[in-house]
Amino acid sequence: MSLRAQDLFSVRGRTALVTGASGFIGRRLCQTLLENDARVIAVGRSDRLLQATAAWTETYGAEAVLTRQVDMYDVEAFTATLTELAASERIEVIVNNAHDMGPEAGFNVQAGTLEGATVDSWMRNLTGGILWAALTTQYVGGAMRKHGSVSIINVASMYGLVAPNPQLYEGGEFINPPGYSAAKAGLLALTRYTASFWGLSGVRANALVPGPFPNTEDSAPNSVLKDDRLVARLCERTALGRVGHPDELAGALLFLASDASSFMTGHSLVIDGGWTIT
Amino acid sequence: MNERFSLEGRVVAVTGGAGLLGREHALAVAEAGGIPVILDVDLVGAEECAAAVGSGSWAMFADVTDEETLREVMATILLRHGRLDALINNACRNPKVNSYGSGHATRLEEMPISEWQRDLDVGLTGVLMASRVFGSEIPPGGSIVNIASDLALISPDQRLYRIRGVPEGEQPVKPVGYSVVKTGVVGMTRWLATYWADRGIRVNCLSPGGVQDGQPAEFVAQLVERIPLGRMARPDEYRGAIVFLCSDASSYMTGQNLVIDGGRTIW
Repeated sequence: MSLRAQDLFSVRGRTALVTGASGFIGRRLCQTLLENDARVIAVGRSDRLLQATAAWTETYGAEAVLTRQVDMYDVEAFTATLTELAASERIEVIVNNAHDMGPEAGFNVQAGTLEGATVDSWMRNLTGGILWAALTTQYVGGAMRKHGSVSIINVASMYGLVAPNPQLYEGGEFINPPGYSAAKAGLLALTRYTASFWGLSGVRANALVPGPFPNTEDSAPNSVLKDDRLVARLCERTALGRVGHPDELAGALLFLASDASSFMTGHSLVIDGGWTIT
Repeated sequence: MNERFSLEGRVVAVTGGAGLLGREHALAVAEAGGIPVILDVDLVGAEECAAAVGSGSWAMFADVTDEETLREVMATILLRHGRLDALINNACRNPKVNSYGSGHATRLEEMPISEWQRDLDVGLTGVLMASRVFGSEIPPGGSIVNIASDLALISPDQRLYRIRGVPEGEQPVKPVGYSVVKTGVVGMTRWLATYWADRGIRVNCLSPGGVQDGQPAEFVAQLVERIPLGRMARPDEYRGAIVFLCSDASSYMTGQNLVIDGGRTIW
C-alpha cells in the first residue's frame, strides 16, 4: 500500500454509484469523485439530474458519467435500474445520498411538525432515508461483494445523532420533520448492520454525518437565503461559529471511498463544525 | 415504596458528602431507608450534613487522595455496622472559571499544571482509591455509583462563561481538568463493572446536568437555552436516580451511564 497521499486517497478508475446525484450535497460529491478520476453513475429523480450530468459529460468525458433518471419511490423501477447496473457494471463505491427534502416529505410545511406529520410524509422520509439505501446495498452491494471490495457510504445527518432544537426554527418558515431524524438514525443502524454482516466479504459500510450545510446556492425546496436568520442561528450553535460549505465534505468522501480507510467500517464520521460536542 | 427500591438497613458511603449534591445523595439514601456515611475533607460540613439527614447518618473525615484515611474510614464503618453495601463516588473538584486564582488562570495557556494535577488526583485517582478500599469490602449484590457529568459527553460551551469587557485572550473558561476527569470516570465505571462483575458488584455512573445554585441570572438564561426542558436541575432531582442505582431496582444494570441533563446532550 502506497503511503503517498495521492495514491492513498486515490479513487482513480473506480466506479461509484451516487444517489441523489444532482442535489446540493450530491452534486458536490459527484464532482469530487469526477475531479479525482473516478467514474460516476449518477442516479436521481429530478430533471435537474440530466442538466448536471450533461455538464459533467462535457467536462470529464462521456466515459466518466453514466446517468440513470428513475423515480426511486417506484420501487419496481428503482430495483430494475439497480439490477441492470449490478449486471453490467463493476461498482466499488456506493454513495447513498438521496433524500426527499421537499414539502411532501414535510420540509418547511405544517405536515412536517410532530403534531401534523402525515402518514405520507413519514413514509417518504423512511423510504428515502432508509429503504433507498437498503435497496442499493442489497441489489448493488450484494452483487458486487462477490467481485471484491466495496465501500458503502451512507450520507446521514447530525439529526440522526441529536434532535433539532426548536429554537432554531422559531418564527421562521423552516421546519425539519420528525421523520427525517428517525430515518437518519435508522440509516446509522443500517450502516452498522451492513458493516457487521458483510465485513468478511470485503464490504465496508460507513456513514458520513454532515452537520449544518444549508443550501444557500440555488432555488431548491430546501434552499435558504444566506442572510436568513436560520443560517445565523445555525452558525451560533457550532463550535467553529459557521456553517459548512459542501466542499468541506470532499475530503471525508475520498477518505471513505478510497483505501485510506481500509480498516474502517461501521463508523459514523461526523463533520459538523462541533455541533454535537457542546 | 416498592421493595426493589428499598435500601433498608444498607450502609452507603458518600464521598464529597458535604457538597451540594453529596448532601442530596445522602438524603436519597436515607429516604430509601439506608444509612448514609458522609465522608468529606470538610468535617464540619460533613457533620452538619449528617445531622440534617438523620436516619442514623454519621460523618467522618476522609481525603480521597490519601488512601490511609480511606482505610481508617473503612475500619470504622465495619466496626460500627459490620458491613458496607454501596459507595457513591461523588468527591471531585468542580473548578469554577475563577478557581485557579485570576480569571484567566483557567485558560489552557496559563493554567498551572499543579491545578490540573490536583483535579486528576481528586476526581480520578480519588475514585480509583475509594473504589478499591471500599469496593473490596462490598458484598455481592452491592453497588458502586460514580458521579460523572454532562461534561463527560459534551465540551463546555465557553461562550457561557464570557465576561463582558474582558479582552479575548483573558476570558475565563471552564478548565480542561473537569472534562477530562468526568470523561475518565465513565471509562473507569465500565472498567470496574467488568472487573468486579464476577463478585456480583454492579458499577454504574450518573451524569447530572447543571444544578441551580444561585448562579448569576445572565449565565442561567444562556445555559437554559441549551436545555430542552428550559431550566437547570433542582438539587433534589437526582435522588431518584441514586436510589435506583444503589438498590436492587437496577440489579441487571452495570457499566452504564445514566444521563440526567434536562436533555442538554440530545439536540
